[in-house]
Formats: sequence, structure tokens, C-alpha cells
Amino acid sequence: MPLVNFTTREITCKLVYYGPGRCGKTTNLLYIHGRVPEQRRGNMVSLATQSDRTLFFDFLPLELGVISGFTTRFQLYTVPGQVYYNATRRLVLQGADGVVFVVDSQARRYDDNLESFQDLQENLLDQGVDIRQIPLVLQYNKQDLPSDLILSPPDLDDAFNFRNVPSLPADALHGAGVFETLKALSSLVLQRLAVRPPAP
Amino acid sequence: MRAIEPWVEAPLGGFLKESAARLTLLMTSSGQVVAQHGFTRSLDVMAASALGAGIMASTFELAKVMGIRPLDAVVHQGTGVGIYLAAFDTPRGRWLGLVVFGDETSLGLVQYFFARLTEDLGRAAPAAEPPRQVLAEDFEDELNSSLRALFGR
Amino acid sequence: MLRELLTGLTRIAGVRGALIVSGKDGIVVAETVMEGVDGRAVAALTGSLAARMRGVTGALGHTDPGLLHLQGPDGGLFAAAGRAGLLVVALTTADVNAGELRLALLRAAERAA
Repeated sequence: MPLVNFTTREITCKLVYYGPGRCGKTTNLLYIHGRVPEQRRGNMVSLATQSDRTLFFDFLPLELGVISGFTTRFQLYTVPGQVYYNATRRLVLQGADGVVFVVDSQARRYDDNLESFQDLQENLLDQGVDIRQIPLVLQYNKQDLPSDLILSPPDLDDAFNFRNVPSLPADALHGAGVFETLKALSSLVLQRLAVRPPAP
Repeated sequence: MRAIEPWVEAPLGGFLKESAARLTLLMTSSGQVVAQHGFTRSLDVMAASALGAGIMASTFELAKVMGIRPLDAVVHQGTGVGIYLAAFDTPRGRWLGLVVFGDETSLGLVQYFFARLTEDLGRAAPAAEPPRQVLAEDFEDELNSSLRALFGR
Repeated sequence: MLRELLTGLTRIAGVRGALIVSGKDGIVVAETVMEGVDGRAVAALTGSLAARMRGVTGALGHTDPGLLHLQGPDGGLFAAAGRAGLLVVALTTADVNAGELRLALLRAAERAA
């Protein structure tokens, strides 16, 4: 559950971007960092290798504004995608309030996506979290590539979206779908804190 | 000083007074800020918290890989300034403390009073409350307009 | 060698524990203390005390104090400044032979480095 400070009326949510190596997780955060006014975001912290591959995590704090009288903040994290950084992924995933699974839409990356998705399920389970219970959004990134190189959103839905969660096509490099993804996940995460409508 | 829950304030206040720490941050092991003293910008607090939790998490993993017992504290020592990072258990789960201290105090004092802080927190912690629904039913309208404003749309 | 220094101090009647403390950091370098004595607390607080005393003597225009002696109704604390910022500390009962201990501490402080 997001952290709620009743005294200062603040909500803080930890959102994690997960997915295989080079699928565009860091690109999502970089785009957000570039679009959001400086006074509403912190510095982007990137623990990366010399070749700019995420080594530990990227981190971007955002101040969303006031919702229902609560100042709402997001902590956006990415995990390193490479298979051998699983221990690090587990650590970053700890206490996540919601996950964006970034799928690389290229057909040749299908197996990498699948492996990473299974890895996400296992790592959540390790922490006692069932993937069917955590707020989850799928982002089908790189949909701008030529259609013969990529899988379509319906095909990817068939492969990954067994929970029927929100899934969004994206071109994170140019920003398409980045905003929509964050919106979809934040809505799911905050719904957990919302008063439910009375039963009909 | 700012604390998420009021019961943290008295023990933390005692620690600050005794240890003469410059900055102090209490957080959950997943990097969520619980209380802080000395930071001026909330967004910086979140970054420090994320990094502190990352350091402790990798320290635990390192110990595991080396086959040794978990390391509960890490000290970074610079010229005239040091950072003390430590993990401790509370009735609310495992928390971490990040303390920045200068020459006006010492690592020993920080360690000693931090140990006392963890005991005080253990005593002061009330039973955990069940999560409350705090947002209005129609919060999504506000969320959407906040996000649009944030992205300049 | 540090251990030997401490053992020598604890052989003096009335000494409940002896420590070598990094004065600047207030942390224990070596200790031989009786059960129930919190060496970490002694090191932290003695380091802080020594720093304050250096401040006092400095303000008076004197050199750093070579030896501190705190005496309470139930016991005392002695700390001698050694080389490289080390402190040799002894915790005592009230009836310790203070003169003998001071000499032993100063000798130990010379050797501790």
C-alpha cells in the first residue's frame, strides 16, 4: 500500500518499471524527466555502467499535486534488465505499489520478454505478492518500428495480458504512450486508497 | 523535523539532540520515507532514501553472497563528514536509518544514540492501523488533471 | 599488544574495565571490560568528553589535557591521551588506588599507538 502521512496529508507511491534489457524502461523515465517542470521533480538518479546500462536502478521522484486534499508523490524506479542482475531487481521491487511491465515489441525479443515476465512473477512471489494482486500495467514499447519487425498490441495481449490489465502501445523515445502508461498505473495504485462506491 | 507518524517524533527528537547529527532520515527497507530532519526539499529526501535503501539492500545481498551474517550497519567516512546507515526491526517492520554527521559529533556517539533510538521506537510504536480509504470516490478527475498539468498537456 | 596493555590495567585492584578508544570517532579499538559494562557507550561518551575538555583547555590557552579523571560516589573514569588520537580508558570502583592507576594509564598511553 502507498505510504500515507495523515499529519502532513501526503501520499507516496513506489512505482517500478520492469522489463528485459534495452526494452525502454530508462527511456520512459528520461522522457518524464524531460517533460516535467523542474520544481515538480527531483534529480534523476541513475546508477548505470559506463555504457549507460542500468546497473542498480534509475530513480525519479515526482510531485503530482494535491488529490483529495493529499499531496501525492510518485517514486519511479527502473530495474536493470539483464538476466544476471536478478538480485538487484528483487531489491528494487521490494515494497512496490505498482509495476509497469515494459515489453519490447520486436518479434525477436519475444523470448526475452517472456523470461523477464516470468522473472517478475517469481520475484513478486518471493516477496509474498501474487502478480494478480498488484497493480500492473503493460506497455508495448517500440511500436513505432516497421510493422514487419514487431508484434501488434493484440498479439502481445495474447501472450502477456492474461489478467486483462491496462495495456498501452508506446514509443517511449518520442514520448508516445509514456504519459498514458503512468496515468493508467497511478490510477490503479491510488484506487486502493479511494472510497469505494456503495454497492448497488 | 517531519515524521509520517507522530509517535516517531519524540524518540527521533531525543536522538537529534543527543547525537548532534546534521541530517537524519528514517525509512522503510523499500525506501519509503518515514521521518526526516535537516533536508530542505522533499524530492531530495526521496532520492536520499532510495539510495540509502539501495545501499543497505546491496549490503545484505553482499553478505549473503559471501556467506556471512547480515551486516546491519554501514559507515561512509569522508573529510569532516560521515554517513551512518543502519537497519533495525520495529513493530512496523524493518526500517533503515541514514545519519549524516560532522566533526561536532563522532561515529561512536551516533552509533550509541542510534541504538537507543531504535529501542525507543520499539517502545513507542502503537499497534499497526488497518489501511484507511483516504481518497474521494471521484479522485480520478483530480489525478488526470494533475497529470495533464504535470506533463504540460 | 593492545590486549596486553589492557590486561595490565585490569590487574590493578578496583579496575572494572579498560578500553582503547579512537578519540575522534568515539569507537572501541580494544576492550577488556566486566560483564554489564557497555564498552560502546563508554567509548562514545568518553570520546565526546575528551573532545570537549580539549575545547575547554584550548579556550584557556593551555595544551590538550593528558589525563581526564571523573569521580563519582560509586566509581570513576580515567582517560589518558595516547598517540594517533587514541585514548586509554579505565573504569574503576570508588576505592581504586588512583595514583597507581594514573601512572599505569600514562605508561599505557605512551605505548598505545
